[in-house]
Amino acid sequence: MAEINKVSEKARRQSFLHWIYGNLTCFSQEHMQTFGYLWSMMPIVDELYDKDEDKVDALRTYTTFFNTEPQIGTMVVGLTVGLEEARANGEPMDAETINGIRAGLMGPLAGLGDSIIVGTFIPILLGIALGLSTGGNPLGPLFYMVVWNVLMYFGMKYAYDQGYTLGGSAVEALVGPDSAALRSSIVMIGSMVIGSVAATWISISTSFAINFSEKSSFVLQSTLDAILPKFLSFFFVWLCWWLMTKKKVSPTIVMLILVAVAMIGCITIPGLNTSFFNPGLSY
Amino acid sequence: MTIGIFQAVLLGIFACLASLPGMGGTTVGNYTLGRPLVGGLIVGIIMGNMQLGIIVGAAIQIVYIALVTPGGTVSADVRAITYIGIPLSMLAIQAQGLDPNSTEAASLAAALGAAVGTLGTVLFYGTATMNLVWQGIGWRAMESGKWSQIKRTIPLVETVLPWISHIIFSFVPTVVICMAGEPMVQLMKEYLPMDGYAMRVLFTVGSLLPAVGVGILCKQVIAKPLDWITFAFGFILAAVMGANLIASAVIAVFFALINFELQSLKSGRRAPVAAGSGTMDDDEEEEDI
Repeated sequence: MAEINKVSEKARRQSFLHWIYGNLTCFSQEHMQTFGYLWSMMPIVDELYDKDEDKVDALRTYTTFFNTEPQIGTMVVGLTVGLEEARANGEPMDAETINGIRAGLMGPLAGLGDSIIVGTFIPILLGIALGLSTGGNPLGPLFYMVVWNVLMYFGMKYAYDQGYTLGGSAVEALVGPDSAALRSSIVMIGSMVIGSVAATWISISTSFAINFSEKSSFVLQSTLDAILPKFLSFFFVWLCWWLMTKKKVSPTIVMLILVAVAMIGCITIPGLNTSFFNPGLSY
Repeated sequence: MTIGIFQAVLLGIFACLASLPGMGGTTVGNYTLGRPLVGGLIVGIIMGNMQLGIIVGAAIQIVYIALVTPGGTVSADVRAITYIGIPLSMLAIQAQGLDPNSTEAASLAAALGAAVGTLGTVLFYGTATMNLVWQGIGWRAMESGKWSQIKRTIPLVETVLPWISHIIFSFVPTVVICMAGEPMVQLMKEYLPMDGYAMRVLFTVGSLLPAVGVGILCKQVIAKPLDWITFAFGFILAAVMGANLIASAVIAVFFALINFELQSLKSGRRAPVAAGSGTMDDDEEEEDI
Protein backbone atom coordinates (compact mmCIF):
# COMPACT_ATOMS: atom_id res chain seq x y z
CA MET A 1 0.00 0.00 0.00
CA ALA A 2 2.79 2.40 0.87
CA GLU A 3 4.59 1.57 -2.35
CA ILE A 4 4.99 4.64 -4.53
CA ASN A 5 3.61 4.27 -8.02
CA LYS A 6 6.03 5.93 -10.46
CA VAL A 7 5.52 6.63 -14.13
CA SER A 8 7.98 4.55 -16.13
CA GLU A 9 10.60 6.06 -18.42
CA LYS A 10 8.86 4.37 -21.37
CA ALA A 11 5.45 5.90 -20.68
CA ARG A 12 7.00 9.32 -20.30
CA ARG A 13 8.85 8.99 -23.59
CA GLN A 14 5.63 7.97 -25.31
CA SER A 15 3.73 10.84 -23.77
CA PHE A 16 6.50 13.26 -24.84
CA LEU A 17 6.47 11.99 -28.43
CA HIS A 18 2.69 12.17 -28.58
CA TRP A 19 2.84 15.80 -27.50
CA ILE A 20 5.63 17.05 -29.76
CA TYR A 21 4.02 15.43 -32.78
CA GLY A 22 0.34 15.75 -32.00
CA ASN A 23 -0.01 19.08 -30.21
CA LEU A 24 -1.76 20.65 -33.20
CA THR A 25 -2.55 17.84 -35.65
CA CYS A 26 -6.25 17.88 -34.83
CA PHE A 27 -6.50 21.62 -34.32
CA SER A 28 -9.80 23.45 -34.35
CA GLN A 29 -10.55 27.03 -33.38
CA GLU A 30 -12.80 25.71 -30.62
CA HIS A 31 -10.56 23.25 -28.78
CA MET A 32 -7.10 24.09 -30.15
CA GLN A 33 -4.51 21.83 -28.42
CA THR A 34 -6.93 19.95 -26.16
CA PHE A 35 -6.83 16.70 -28.12
CA GLY A 36 -3.05 16.77 -28.39
CA TYR A 37 -3.01 17.05 -24.60
CA LEU A 38 -5.41 14.14 -24.15
CA TRP A 39 -3.34 11.95 -26.42
CA SER A 40 -0.12 12.74 -24.58
CA MET A 41 -1.69 12.00 -21.17
CA MET A 42 -3.08 8.63 -22.29
CA PRO A 43 0.07 6.53 -21.73
CA ILE A 44 0.47 8.17 -18.32
CA VAL A 45 -2.99 7.46 -16.90
CA ASP A 46 -2.98 4.05 -18.55
CA GLU A 47 0.03 3.13 -16.48
CA LEU A 48 -0.79 4.91 -13.22
CA TYR A 49 -4.28 3.49 -12.67
CA ASP A 50 -5.38 -0.13 -12.65
CA LYS A 51 -9.13 0.20 -13.04
CA ASP A 52 -10.58 1.39 -16.34
CA GLU A 53 -13.00 3.83 -14.73
CA ASP A 54 -10.12 5.47 -12.83
CA LYS A 55 -8.24 5.89 -16.09
CA VAL A 56 -11.27 7.52 -17.71
CA ASP A 57 -11.81 9.76 -14.70
CA ALA A 58 -8.19 10.89 -14.68
CA LEU A 59 -8.14 11.56 -18.41
CA ARG A 60 -11.36 13.63 -18.14
CA THR A 61 -9.31 16.20 -16.21
CA TYR A 62 -7.52 17.08 -19.43
CA THR A 63 -10.62 17.68 -21.53
CA THR A 64 -10.46 21.28 -20.35
CA PHE A 65 -9.45 23.73 -23.07
CA PHE A 66 -5.72 24.08 -23.56
CA ASN A 67 -3.72 26.35 -25.85
CA THR A 68 -0.25 27.83 -25.57
CA GLU A 69 2.90 28.07 -27.63
CA PRO A 70 3.17 24.28 -28.05
CA GLN A 71 6.97 24.03 -27.96
CA ILE A 72 7.59 25.89 -24.72
CA GLY A 73 4.28 24.43 -23.50
CA THR A 74 5.93 20.99 -23.40
CA MET A 75 6.94 22.00 -19.89
CA VAL A 76 3.30 22.13 -18.78
CA VAL A 77 2.71 18.60 -20.06
CA GLY A 78 5.73 17.34 -18.12
CA LEU A 79 4.50 19.22 -15.08
CA THR A 80 1.04 17.65 -15.18
CA VAL A 81 2.61 14.20 -15.50
CA GLY A 82 4.26 14.89 -12.14
CA LEU A 83 0.98 16.13 -10.68
CA GLU A 84 -0.96 13.15 -12.01
CA GLU A 85 1.62 10.84 -10.45
CA ALA A 86 1.14 12.59 -7.12
CA ARG A 87 -2.62 12.25 -7.43
CA ALA A 88 -2.38 8.53 -8.23
CA ASN A 89 -0.35 8.08 -5.06
CA GLY A 90 -3.12 9.56 -2.98
CA GLU A 91 -1.67 13.00 -2.44
CA PRO A 92 -4.21 15.83 -2.06
CA MET A 93 -4.36 16.83 -5.69
CA ASP A 94 -7.66 17.25 -7.49
CA ALA A 95 -8.73 18.02 -11.04
CA GLU A 96 -9.45 21.66 -10.14
CA THR A 97 -5.90 22.19 -8.89
CA ILE A 98 -4.36 20.59 -11.98
CA ASN A 99 -6.52 22.64 -14.30
CA GLY A 100 -5.89 25.79 -12.30
CA ILE A 101 -2.16 25.32 -12.79
CA ARG A 102 -2.58 24.55 -16.50
CA ALA A 103 -4.81 27.57 -17.07
CA GLY A 104 -2.50 29.81 -15.08
CA LEU A 105 0.55 28.79 -17.09
CA MET A 106 -0.72 28.64 -20.64
CA GLY A 107 -1.19 32.40 -20.98
CA PRO A 108 2.25 33.56 -19.79
CA LEU A 109 4.00 30.72 -21.62
CA ALA A 110 2.18 31.53 -24.85
CA GLY A 111 3.38 35.13 -24.62
CA LEU A 112 6.91 34.04 -23.79
CA GLY A 113 7.05 31.36 -26.50
CA ASP A 114 5.56 33.58 -29.20
CA SER A 115 8.03 36.38 -28.53
CA ILE A 116 11.20 34.40 -27.74
CA ILE A 117 10.92 31.25 -29.87
CA VAL A 118 8.73 32.29 -32.79
CA GLY A 119 9.38 36.03 -32.77
CA THR A 120 13.12 36.08 -32.04
CA PHE A 121 14.83 32.70 -32.22
CA ILE A 122 13.35 31.52 -35.52
CA PRO A 123 14.02 34.85 -37.28
CA ILE A 124 17.66 34.80 -36.09
CA LEU A 125 18.12 31.26 -37.42
CA LEU A 126 16.34 32.15 -40.64
CA GLY A 127 18.39 35.33 -40.97
CA ILE A 128 21.61 33.34 -40.78
CA ALA A 129 20.18 30.68 -43.11
CA LEU A 130 19.20 33.39 -45.61
CA GLY A 131 22.75 34.69 -45.54
CA LEU A 132 24.03 31.20 -46.34
CA SER A 133 21.59 30.65 -49.20
CA THR A 134 22.75 33.53 -51.41
CA GLY A 135 22.60 32.56 -55.06
CA GLY A 136 20.49 29.48 -54.33
CA ASN A 137 22.97 27.69 -52.07
CA PRO A 138 21.25 24.70 -50.35
CA LEU A 139 23.50 25.16 -47.32
CA GLY A 140 21.08 27.82 -46.00
CA PRO A 141 17.90 25.71 -45.82
CA LEU A 142 19.88 22.67 -44.65
CA PHE A 143 21.46 24.70 -41.85
CA TYR A 144 18.02 25.82 -40.65
CA MET A 145 16.49 22.32 -40.89
CA VAL A 146 19.25 20.69 -38.85
CA VAL A 147 19.90 23.38 -36.23
CA TRP A 148 16.23 24.14 -35.57
CA ASN A 149 15.09 20.52 -35.24
CA VAL A 150 18.03 19.35 -33.13
CA LEU A 151 17.79 22.31 -30.75
CA MET A 152 14.02 22.01 -30.52
CA TYR A 153 14.00 18.27 -29.89
CA PHE A 154 16.49 18.45 -27.06
CA GLY A 155 15.05 21.73 -25.79
CA MET A 156 11.57 20.24 -25.54
CA LYS A 157 12.89 17.03 -23.98
CA TYR A 158 14.65 19.13 -21.37
CA ALA A 159 11.52 21.21 -20.75
CA TYR A 160 9.40 18.08 -20.35
CA ASP A 161 11.82 16.44 -17.92
CA GLN A 162 12.28 19.65 -15.95
CA GLY A 163 8.52 20.05 -15.72
CA TYR A 164 8.19 16.50 -14.47
CA THR A 165 10.95 16.57 -11.86
CA LEU A 166 10.83 20.12 -10.61
CA GLY A 167 7.11 20.75 -10.79
CA GLY A 168 5.85 24.31 -10.54
CA SER A 169 9.23 25.82 -9.71
CA ALA A 170 10.56 24.93 -13.18
CA VAL A 171 7.99 27.08 -14.89
CA GLU A 172 8.41 29.76 -12.26
CA ALA A 173 12.07 30.06 -13.26
CA LEU A 174 11.05 30.61 -16.84
CA VAL A 175 8.47 33.34 -16.29
CA GLY A 176 9.81 34.73 -13.01
CA PRO A 177 11.82 37.95 -12.57
CA ASP A 178 15.20 36.15 -12.59
CA SER A 179 14.80 35.39 -16.26
CA ALA A 180 14.38 39.07 -17.20
CA ALA A 181 18.10 39.56 -17.88
CA LEU A 182 18.23 36.56 -20.19
CA ARG A 183 15.10 37.56 -22.03
CA SER A 184 16.23 41.13 -22.59
CA SER A 185 19.55 39.85 -23.96
CA ILE A 186 17.87 37.43 -26.38
CA VAL A 187 15.55 40.19 -27.56
CA MET A 188 18.59 42.41 -28.05
CA ILE A 189 20.24 39.85 -30.35
CA GLY A 190 16.94 39.60 -32.19
CA SER A 191 16.61 43.36 -32.76
CA MET A 192 20.16 43.64 -34.06
CA VAL A 193 20.05 40.66 -36.39
CA ILE A 194 16.71 41.77 -37.75
CA GLY A 195 18.19 45.22 -38.38
CA SER A 196 20.85 43.51 -40.48
CA VAL A 197 18.22 41.36 -42.20
CA ALA A 198 16.31 44.51 -43.12
CA ALA A 199 19.42 46.14 -44.59
CA THR A 200 20.52 43.01 -46.44
CA TRP A 201 17.27 41.75 -47.89
CA ILE A 202 14.98 44.73 -48.37
CA SER A 203 15.86 46.84 -51.36
CA ILE A 204 13.50 49.73 -51.90
CA SER A 205 14.72 52.48 -54.14
CA THR A 206 13.09 55.43 -55.83
CA SER A 207 13.41 56.41 -59.46
CA PHE A 208 12.34 60.01 -58.85
CA ALA A 209 14.58 62.39 -60.81
CA ILE A 210 14.20 65.79 -62.40
CA ASN A 211 16.42 67.05 -65.18
CA PHE A 212 16.76 70.84 -64.99
CA SER A 213 19.06 71.14 -67.92
CA GLU A 214 21.60 69.07 -69.79
CA LYS A 215 24.07 69.33 -66.94
CA SER A 216 22.11 69.66 -63.71
CA SER A 217 19.58 67.23 -62.36
CA PHE A 218 18.08 66.20 -59.05
CA VAL A 219 18.18 62.49 -58.27
CA LEU A 220 16.23 61.71 -55.10
CA GLN A 221 17.92 58.36 -54.49
CA SER A 222 21.43 59.89 -54.29
CA THR A 223 20.18 62.50 -51.83
CA LEU A 224 18.66 59.75 -49.65
CA ASP A 225 21.85 57.69 -49.86
CA ALA A 226 23.75 60.67 -48.54
CA ILE A 227 21.51 60.72 -45.46
CA LEU A 228 21.70 56.98 -44.78
CA PRO A 229 22.33 54.18 -47.24
CA LYS A 230 19.13 52.18 -47.78
CA PHE A 231 17.15 54.93 -46.07
CA LEU A 232 13.89 53.90 -47.78
CA SER A 233 14.16 50.31 -46.52
CA PHE A 234 14.52 51.61 -42.97
CA PHE A 235 11.69 54.07 -43.44
CA PHE A 236 9.22 51.47 -44.73
CA VAL A 237 10.01 49.04 -41.90
CA TRP A 238 9.40 51.84 -39.42
CA LEU A 239 6.18 52.80 -41.23
CA CYS A 240 4.84 49.23 -41.09
CA TRP A 241 5.76 48.97 -37.40
CA TRP A 242 4.11 52.31 -36.67
CA LEU A 243 0.91 51.37 -38.49
CA MET A 244 0.71 48.03 -36.69
CA THR A 245 1.62 49.11 -33.15
CA LYS A 246 0.49 52.71 -32.90
CA LYS A 247 -2.48 52.61 -35.27
CA LYS A 248 -3.43 48.95 -34.58
CA VAL A 249 -3.68 48.18 -38.29
CA SER A 250 -3.67 44.46 -39.15
CA PRO A 251 -0.80 43.06 -41.29
CA THR A 252 -3.19 42.34 -44.16
CA ILE A 253 -4.38 45.96 -44.23
CA VAL A 254 -0.76 47.16 -44.08
CA MET A 255 -0.06 45.05 -47.16
CA LEU A 256 -3.03 46.66 -48.92
CA ILE A 257 -1.75 50.12 -47.94
CA LEU A 258 1.60 49.24 -49.54
CA VAL A 259 -0.24 48.14 -52.69
CA ALA A 260 -1.90 51.57 -52.76
CA VAL A 261 1.48 53.25 -52.19
CA ALA A 262 2.91 51.29 -55.12
CA MET A 263 -0.05 52.17 -57.35
CA ILE A 264 0.29 55.87 -56.64
CA GLY A 265 4.08 55.79 -56.75
CA CYS A 266 4.15 54.18 -60.17
CA ILE A 267 2.05 56.90 -61.81
CA THR A 268 4.20 59.00 -64.10
CA ILE A 269 4.01 62.60 -62.93
CA PRO A 270 2.80 64.73 -65.88
CA GLY A 271 5.25 67.42 -66.98
CA LEU A 272 8.20 65.98 -65.06
CA ASN A 273 8.17 62.64 -66.86
CA THR A 274 9.23 60.76 -63.73
CA SER A 275 7.65 58.52 -61.10
CA PHE A 276 8.59 57.54 -57.56
CA PHE A 277 8.82 53.86 -58.34
CA ASN A 278 9.92 52.28 -61.57
CA PRO A 279 11.54 48.85 -61.55
CA GLY A 280 12.77 49.62 -65.08
CA LEU A 281 11.77 46.32 -66.62
CA SER A 282 11.41 45.33 -70.21
CA TYR A 283 11.56 42.14 -72.23
CA MET B 1 9.57 24.23 -66.94
CA THR B 2 6.22 22.53 -66.33
CA ILE B 3 4.45 20.91 -63.42
CA GLY B 4 3.38 17.35 -64.18
CA ILE B 5 0.79 15.38 -62.23
CA PHE B 6 3.50 13.49 -60.32
CA GLN B 7 5.17 16.72 -59.21
CA ALA B 8 1.82 18.29 -58.30
CA VAL B 9 1.00 15.26 -56.13
CA LEU B 10 4.32 15.57 -54.28
CA LEU B 11 3.70 19.26 -53.71
CA GLY B 12 0.22 18.37 -52.42
CA ILE B 13 1.60 15.87 -49.90
CA PHE B 14 4.12 18.39 -48.60
CA ALA B 15 1.31 20.94 -48.29
CA CYS B 16 -0.55 18.49 -45.99
CA LEU B 17 2.56 18.01 -43.83
CA ALA B 18 3.58 21.65 -43.65
CA SER B 19 0.31 23.39 -42.85
CA LEU B 20 -0.60 25.01 -39.60
CA PRO B 21 -2.20 22.75 -38.26
CA GLY B 22 -0.26 20.16 -40.25
CA MET B 23 0.25 16.45 -40.36
CA GLY B 24 4.00 16.85 -39.89
CA GLY B 25 3.51 18.26 -36.40
CA THR B 26 4.36 21.77 -35.25
CA THR B 27 8.15 21.63 -35.08
CA VAL B 28 8.91 19.50 -38.12
CA GLY B 29 5.82 20.36 -40.18
CA ASN B 30 4.91 23.98 -39.68
CA TYR B 31 8.20 25.41 -38.44
CA THR B 32 10.49 23.43 -40.76
CA LEU B 33 8.71 22.24 -43.92
CA GLY B 34 6.37 25.23 -43.83
CA ARG B 35 9.14 27.87 -43.85
CA PRO B 36 9.44 29.22 -47.42
CA LEU B 37 13.25 28.93 -47.33
CA VAL B 38 13.09 25.19 -46.58
CA GLY B 39 10.12 24.82 -48.93
CA GLY B 40 12.21 26.48 -51.63
CA LEU B 41 14.76 23.67 -51.38
CA ILE B 42 12.03 21.00 -51.47
CA VAL B 43 10.00 22.57 -54.29
CA GLY B 44 13.21 23.23 -56.20
CA ILE B 45 14.17 19.55 -56.00
CA ILE B 46 10.64 18.44 -56.98
CA MET B 47 10.59 20.79 -59.97
CA GLY B 48 14.14 20.03 -61.03
CA ASN B 49 15.65 23.46 -60.43
CA MET B 50 16.95 23.57 -56.88
CA GLN B 51 18.84 26.83 -57.28
CA LEU B 52 15.83 28.78 -58.51
CA GLY B 53 13.65 27.16 -55.83
CA ILE B 54 15.94 28.35 -53.03
CA ILE B 55 16.24 31.85 -54.48
CA VAL B 56 12.46 32.16 -54.72
CA GLY B 57 11.99 30.62 -51.26
CA ALA B 58 14.48 33.08 -49.76
CA ALA B 59 12.72 36.06 -51.37
CA ILE B 60 9.34 34.98 -49.98
CA GLN B 61 10.85 34.08 -46.61
CA ILE B 62 11.73 37.73 -45.95
CA VAL B 63 8.07 38.70 -46.13
CA TYR B 64 7.16 36.01 -43.60
CA ILE B 65 10.27 36.03 -41.44
CA ALA B 66 8.20 36.68 -38.34
CA LEU B 67 5.02 34.80 -38.97
CA VAL B 68 3.63 34.60 -35.45
CA THR B 69 0.15 33.17 -35.01
CA PRO B 70 -0.95 34.25 -31.52
CA GLY B 71 -3.95 32.27 -30.31
CA GLY B 72 -4.38 30.66 -33.69
CA THR B 73 -5.20 33.85 -35.58
CA VAL B 74 -3.71 33.47 -39.00
CA SER B 75 -3.02 36.31 -41.41
CA ALA B 76 -1.29 34.15 -44.01
CA ASP B 77 -1.28 30.42 -44.70
CA VAL B 78 2.10 28.66 -44.86
CA ARG B 79 1.00 25.74 -47.05
CA ALA B 80 -0.29 28.15 -49.70
CA ILE B 81 2.73 30.47 -49.51
CA THR B 82 5.23 27.65 -49.70
CA TYR B 83 3.72 24.89 -51.84
CA ILE B 84 1.56 27.02 -54.16
CA GLY B 85 3.34 30.40 -54.11
CA ILE B 86 6.87 29.08 -54.71
CA PRO B 87 6.02 26.80 -57.70
CA LEU B 88 3.94 29.55 -59.34
CA SER B 89 6.69 32.12 -58.79
CA MET B 90 9.26 29.78 -60.30
CA LEU B 91 7.07 29.32 -63.39
CA ALA B 92 6.50 33.07 -63.66
CA ILE B 93 10.19 33.94 -63.34
CA GLN B 94 11.07 31.43 -66.05
CA ALA B 95 8.23 32.54 -68.31
CA GLN B 96 9.24 36.20 -68.00
CA GLY B 97 12.85 35.29 -68.65
CA LEU B 98 14.10 37.06 -65.53
CA ASP B 99 17.56 36.50 -64.09
CA PRO B 100 16.92 34.38 -60.94
CA ASN B 101 19.50 36.38 -58.96
CA SER B 102 17.98 39.76 -59.83
CA THR B 103 15.96 42.01 -57.54
CA GLU B 104 13.12 41.79 -60.07
CA ALA B 105 12.86 38.02 -59.65
CA ALA B 106 12.76 38.45 -55.86
CA SER B 107 10.07 41.16 -56.11
CA LEU B 108 7.91 39.02 -58.37
CA ALA B 109 8.21 36.06 -55.98
CA ALA B 110 7.39 38.20 -52.92
CA ALA B 111 4.31 39.73 -54.57
CA LEU B 112 2.97 36.40 -55.85
CA GLY B 113 3.75 34.58 -52.60
CA ALA B 114 2.00 37.20 -50.48
CA ALA B 115 -1.09 37.24 -52.70
CA VAL B 116 -1.37 33.43 -52.56
CA GLY B 117 -0.66 33.43 -48.80
CA THR B 118 -3.43 35.88 -47.99
CA LEU B 119 -5.98 34.05 -50.14
CA GLY B 120 -4.77 30.79 -48.58
CA THR B 121 -6.12 31.68 -45.14
CA VAL B 122 -9.37 30.20 -46.48
CA LEU B 123 -7.59 26.82 -46.42
CA PHE B 124 -6.60 27.31 -42.79
CA TYR B 125 -10.14 28.01 -41.67
CA GLY B 126 -11.44 25.15 -43.81
CA THR B 127 -9.08 22.63 -42.21
CA ALA B 128 -9.67 23.86 -38.66
CA THR B 129 -13.45 23.81 -39.13
CA MET B 130 -13.51 20.34 -40.60
CA ASN B 131 -11.39 19.05 -37.69
CA LEU B 132 -14.39 19.82 -35.45
CA VAL B 133 -16.08 16.77 -36.96
CA TRP B 134 -13.20 14.49 -35.88
CA GLN B 135 -13.06 16.12 -32.47
CA GLY B 136 -16.78 15.36 -32.17
CA ILE B 137 -15.94 11.68 -32.60
CA GLY B 138 -13.30 12.08 -29.89
CA TRP B 139 -15.76 13.72 -27.48
CA ARG B 140 -18.26 10.93 -27.97
CA ALA B 141 -15.58 8.41 -27.03
CA MET B 142 -14.72 10.43 -23.92
CA GLU B 143 -18.39 10.56 -22.91
CA SER B 144 -18.85 6.83 -23.41
CA GLY B 145 -16.68 6.29 -20.35
CA LYS B 146 -15.20 3.12 -21.83
CA TRP B 147 -11.41 3.08 -21.64
CA SER B 148 -11.01 0.63 -24.52
CA GLN B 149 -13.02 2.90 -26.80
CA ILE B 150 -11.11 6.00 -25.71
CA LYS B 151 -7.81 4.24 -26.20
CA ARG B 152 -8.81 3.31 -29.75
CA THR B 153 -10.41 6.60 -30.77
CA ILE B 154 -8.08 9.36 -29.54
CA PRO B 155 -5.05 8.22 -31.60
CA LEU B 156 -7.31 8.08 -34.67
CA VAL B 157 -8.56 11.60 -34.01
CA GLU B 158 -4.98 12.79 -33.62
CA THR B 159 -3.17 11.05 -36.45
CA VAL B 160 -5.56 9.62 -39.05
CA LEU B 161 -8.82 11.51 -39.37
CA PRO B 162 -7.29 15.01 -39.86
CA TRP B 163 -5.76 13.65 -43.08
CA ILE B 164 -9.26 13.83 -44.56
CA SER B 165 -9.40 17.56 -43.80
CA HIS B 166 -6.00 17.92 -45.43
CA ILE B 167 -6.90 15.98 -48.55
CA ILE B 168 -9.77 18.38 -49.09
CA PHE B 169 -8.15 21.65 -47.99
CA SER B 170 -4.42 21.10 -48.65
CA PHE B 171 -3.88 18.36 -51.19
CA VAL B 172 -6.60 19.05 -53.76
CA PRO B 173 -6.17 22.86 -53.89
CA THR B 174 -2.38 22.55 -54.21
CA VAL B 175 -2.57 19.96 -57.01
CA VAL B 176 -5.28 21.84 -58.95
CA ILE B 177 -3.68 25.29 -58.69
CA CYS B 178 -0.18 24.03 -59.49
CA MET B 179 -1.45 22.15 -62.54
CA ALA B 180 -3.40 25.17 -63.75
CA GLY B 181 -0.49 27.49 -62.96
CA GLU B 182 1.43 27.19 -66.20
CA PRO B 183 -1.28 28.31 -68.64
CA MET B 184 -2.16 31.12 -66.22
CA VAL B 185 1.42 32.34 -66.13
CA GLN B 186 1.55 32.20 -69.94
CA LEU B 187 -1.63 34.29 -70.15
CA MET B 188 -0.11 36.81 -67.76
CA LYS B 189 2.93 37.09 -70.01
CA GLU B 190 0.78 37.72 -73.08
CA TYR B 191 -1.61 40.26 -71.62
CA LEU B 192 0.58 42.14 -69.16
CA PRO B 193 3.67 43.63 -70.76
CA MET B 194 6.66 43.96 -68.42
CA ASP B 195 7.04 47.70 -68.87
CA GLY B 196 3.30 48.35 -68.48
CA TYR B 197 1.77 50.01 -65.44
CA ALA B 198 0.32 46.79 -63.93
CA MET B 199 3.66 44.98 -63.91
CA ARG B 200 5.47 48.05 -62.56
CA VAL B 201 3.01 48.13 -59.65
CA LEU B 202 3.34 44.37 -59.06
CA PHE B 203 7.13 44.55 -58.89
CA THR B 204 7.05 47.63 -56.67
CA VAL B 205 4.65 45.89 -54.28
CA GLY B 206 7.05 42.95 -54.23
CA SER B 207 9.92 45.19 -53.18
CA LEU B 208 7.83 46.90 -50.47
CA LEU B 209 6.32 43.75 -48.91
CA PRO B 210 9.39 42.49 -47.04
CA ALA B 211 9.08 45.63 -44.89
CA VAL B 212 5.80 44.23 -43.49
CA GLY B 213 7.51 41.02 -42.38
CA VAL B 214 10.31 42.87 -40.66
CA GLY B 215 7.76 45.35 -39.27
CA ILE B 216 5.84 42.50 -37.60
CA LEU B 217 9.07 41.36 -36.04
CA CYS B 218 9.86 44.84 -34.76
CA LYS B 219 6.44 44.79 -33.12
CA GLN B 220 7.65 41.77 -31.14
CA VAL B 221 11.04 43.07 -30.06
CA ILE B 222 10.71 46.85 -29.97
CA ALA B 223 8.92 48.05 -26.86
CA LYS B 224 10.36 51.52 -26.28
CA PRO B 225 11.71 54.16 -28.71
CA LEU B 226 15.31 53.51 -27.61
CA ASP B 227 15.05 49.93 -28.89
CA TRP B 228 15.14 51.42 -32.37
CA ILE B 229 18.80 52.26 -31.70
CA THR B 230 19.54 48.55 -31.30
CA PHE B 231 17.72 47.86 -34.55
CA ALA B 232 19.53 50.75 -36.28
CA PHE B 233 22.86 49.40 -35.03
CA GLY B 234 22.21 46.09 -36.74
CA PHE B 235 20.91 47.89 -39.84
CA ILE B 236 24.05 50.01 -40.09
CA LEU B 237 26.33 47.02 -39.56
CA ALA B 238 24.94 45.55 -42.76
CA ALA B 239 24.04 48.64 -44.80
CA VAL B 240 27.09 50.81 -44.09
CA MET B 241 29.80 48.52 -42.76
CA GLY B 242 29.00 45.62 -45.05
CA ALA B 243 28.77 42.94 -42.36
CA ASN B 244 26.99 39.78 -43.47
CA LEU B 245 24.31 38.19 -41.29
CA ILE B 246 26.62 35.75 -39.53
CA ALA B 247 29.05 38.54 -38.65
CA SER B 248 26.15 40.66 -37.34
CA ALA B 249 24.87 37.74 -35.29
CA VAL B 250 28.27 37.32 -33.64
CA ILE B 251 28.52 41.04 -32.89
CA ALA B 252 24.96 40.94 -31.54
CA VAL B 253 25.78 38.03 -29.22
CA PHE B 254 28.80 39.99 -27.93
CA PHE B 255 26.66 42.98 -27.00
CA ALA B 256 23.96 40.72 -25.57
CA LEU B 257 26.57 39.15 -23.27
CA ILE B 258 27.52 42.58 -21.95
CA ASN B 259 23.84 43.38 -21.51
CA PHE B 260 23.27 40.10 -19.68
CA GLU B 261 26.10 40.77 -17.24
CA LEU B 262 24.83 44.30 -16.58
CA GLN B 263 21.25 43.18 -16.11
CA SER B 264 22.12 40.34 -13.73
CA LEU B 265 24.36 42.70 -11.77
CA LYS B 266 21.47 45.12 -11.44
CA SER B 267 18.93 42.52 -10.31
CA GLY B 268 21.50 40.79 -8.10
CA ARG B 269 22.09 44.06 -6.28
CA ARG B 270 18.42 44.74 -5.89
CA ALA B 271 17.60 41.31 -4.46
CA PRO B 272 19.38 41.55 -1.09
CA VAL B 273 17.83 44.97 -0.42
CA ALA B 274 14.38 43.59 -1.02
CA ALA B 275 15.10 40.54 1.11
CA GLY B 276 15.57 42.49 4.31
CA SER B 277 17.26 45.48 5.91
CA GLY B 278 19.97 43.25 7.42
CA THR B 279 21.84 43.05 4.16
CA MET B 280 21.76 46.79 3.60
CA ASP B 281 25.08 47.34 5.38
CA ASP B 282 26.94 44.92 3.17
CA ASP B 283 25.61 46.68 0.16
CA GLU B 284 26.75 50.07 1.32
CA GLU B 285 30.20 48.83 2.20
CA GLU B 286 30.63 47.48 -1.28
CA GLU B 287 29.72 50.81 -2.75
CA ASP B 288 32.24 52.61 -0.56
CA ILE B 289 35.00 50.51 -2.02
